[in-house]
Amino acid sequence: MSADAVDLKHLQQFLYRLITVPGGVAEGLAQEVAITGGGLDQLVISDDRMSPVERVEVYANGYFYRLLEVLKEDYPATLAVAGDDHFHNLATGYLIDYPPTQPSIHFAGLNFAAYLATHPLRARWPFIADLARLERATLESFHAAGAPALHAEALRALSPTEWPALTIRLHPATRLIESEWRIDTVLREVEDGRAWTDPERDDATILVWRRDNHVYYRATEAAEREALGLANDENGVPFAAICESIASAADKNDDAAALINRLLARWLLDGLLLRTAE
Amino acid sequence: MGVRASCRRAASVPVYSLRQLARGWCDSISMKRSDFPQLGFGVGLRPPHYAEILESRPPMDWFEVISENFLVAGGRPLEVLDSVRVDYPIAMHGVSLSIGTTDPLNRSYLSELRTLAQRVEPAWISDHLCWTGVGGRNLHDLMPLPHTEEAIMHTARRIREVQEILERPILIENVSSYLTYSHSRLTEWEFLTAIAAEADCGILLDINNIFVNAFNHRFDPRRYIDAMPPDRVIQFHLAGHADHGTYLLDTHDHPIRPEVWDLYEYAVRRLGAVSTLIEWDDNIPEFAVLSAAAAEARDRETRAVSANCDTAKTLSLSDGTLRGACR
Repeated sequence: MSADAVDLKHLQQFLYRLITVPGGVAEGLAQEVAITGGGLDQLVISDDRMSPVERVEVYANGYFYRLLEVLKEDYPATLAVAGDDHFHNLATGYLIDYPPTQPSIHFAGLNFAAYLATHPLRARWPFIADLARLERATLESFHAAGAPALHAEALRALSPTEWPALTIRLHPATRLIESEWRIDTVLREVEDGRAWTDPERDDATILVWRRDNHVYYRATEAAEREALGLANDENGVPFAAICESIASAADKNDDAAALINRLLARWLLDGLLLRTAE
Repeated sequence: MGVRASCRRAASVPVYSLRQLARGWCDSISMKRSDFPQLGFGVGLRPPHYAEILESRPPMDWFEVISENFLVAGGRPLEVLDSVRVDYPIAMHGVSLSIGTTDPLNRSYLSELRTLAQRVEPAWISDHLCWTGVGGRNLHDLMPLPHTEEAIMHTARRIREVQEILERPILIENVSSYLTYSHSRLTEWEFLTAIAAEADCGILLDINNIFVNAFNHRFDPRRYIDAMPPDRVIQFHLAGHADHGTYLLDTHDHPIRPEVWDLYEYAVRRLGAVSTLIEWDDNIPEFAVLSAAAAEARDRETRAVSANCDTAKTLSLSDGTLRGACR
């Protein structure tokens, strides 16, 4: 690429390729030989301290390590499971398949779980993609829109005649993560600074929610799983359908009414529900 | 503050007139420093300090926020921002405008930025004179532009568009760089002032970035500051950098170096008292450390302004810059 011929668009595209090529700037430059004639000297000024390649490498290193740090911060439990070396390689592959496209770097790791879902390392840690999904859900919950949660007092204030028309849905900061593994236990161990252990294999729905600006998560009880799934509809669902779902999921030995009361009280206390506009 | 039309010219400008432009030939400055509030000395609002700031409301003239950290639907960051805004002026500083990219302007991002500005009512909005990505992909880095006619016209046109969308003049900041292009036709300071004049926008002058680039590209940093149009310089940034031997890296994770402090005093003497902000984005220390740096900036500005006043009195000068600084 001769300096006189280069326009801004081609210059930016050329530098982008050099900076993001996984093997480093020199390898990238070799691939560009038809364009550059094999060197950067005509494009980037050098001096006795740094060659053109070394100067572009400052940006190439900055690109990879900046995004590696973002992934490490966003996925600390996935990092703990994979270890530094594997995680480094995962980040390298991820950035090839899913280069950042959003203005905010907060979204750079958005597709990390999707990348892990088809990665060969899943054979070694079959829960790792689900664990990353759970970690992403906690981030999304932290930044989700606020909305006035339905509280027990408001529910009690309704007359019985209003109940059939009442529709509810999950708060925007609530997430439900389905997994065949108790991934919540791994995340808890890592957050507590303990060594992580293999999670139990068990169909689980992990509930993630935000209350008073803190994000929480827990595995749901069997009796609440379907009902929360029903409420996970932005159009809302009739309150009666939620109650029926809990009742139908109750064990024969359970008092269905008591179960509904207990679960609803817990959900309302945690701010999981919204009343939708009629 | 409305955006007035800047002086327009034909799309193609010969190099000789580029230099004239850089010297203010067509700088029909419609914006002035006095259009903006003088905020004093501030620090970046960063998560490790949220609790302390909310609880103790420490003495601080103003805060700068990274706009992208608050382009979210809700949650604690926005609540903190709303609460801090009640007691302090705030400026919004972006890192993702990518004003120099050849991609189309990201109107979705600008819409979010405008919405945030309506919520925050910032003293001003700033971003960097750079490109951050191309082809719909983002490097998340502040890439330098070649100092060419093409880049000036391209970038200035986009700044004007952004100012129309945001309905206010913006500030553009000089970036640290580790490479320069062989086809550049102007110095960095000529390039910056030409774009500011053509776009009729303000300048956020990062003193540390000038120092870093002066080392990396071997120029006298005082020449850079001497070339700045005082009326366009609305804000100073001060930050730390790392010395890698063959180059300096703008890391924002160290204390401000003595040489940068000295350059700051020089800038105050040349450009007058300008709203100043301490940036610290990695290895963030206790809030008290940042407060102390802001206090040192205040002391150094006082000293520099005082020196200017003494000089003006001794020489009986009526020079606008000196008089302006002597308040």
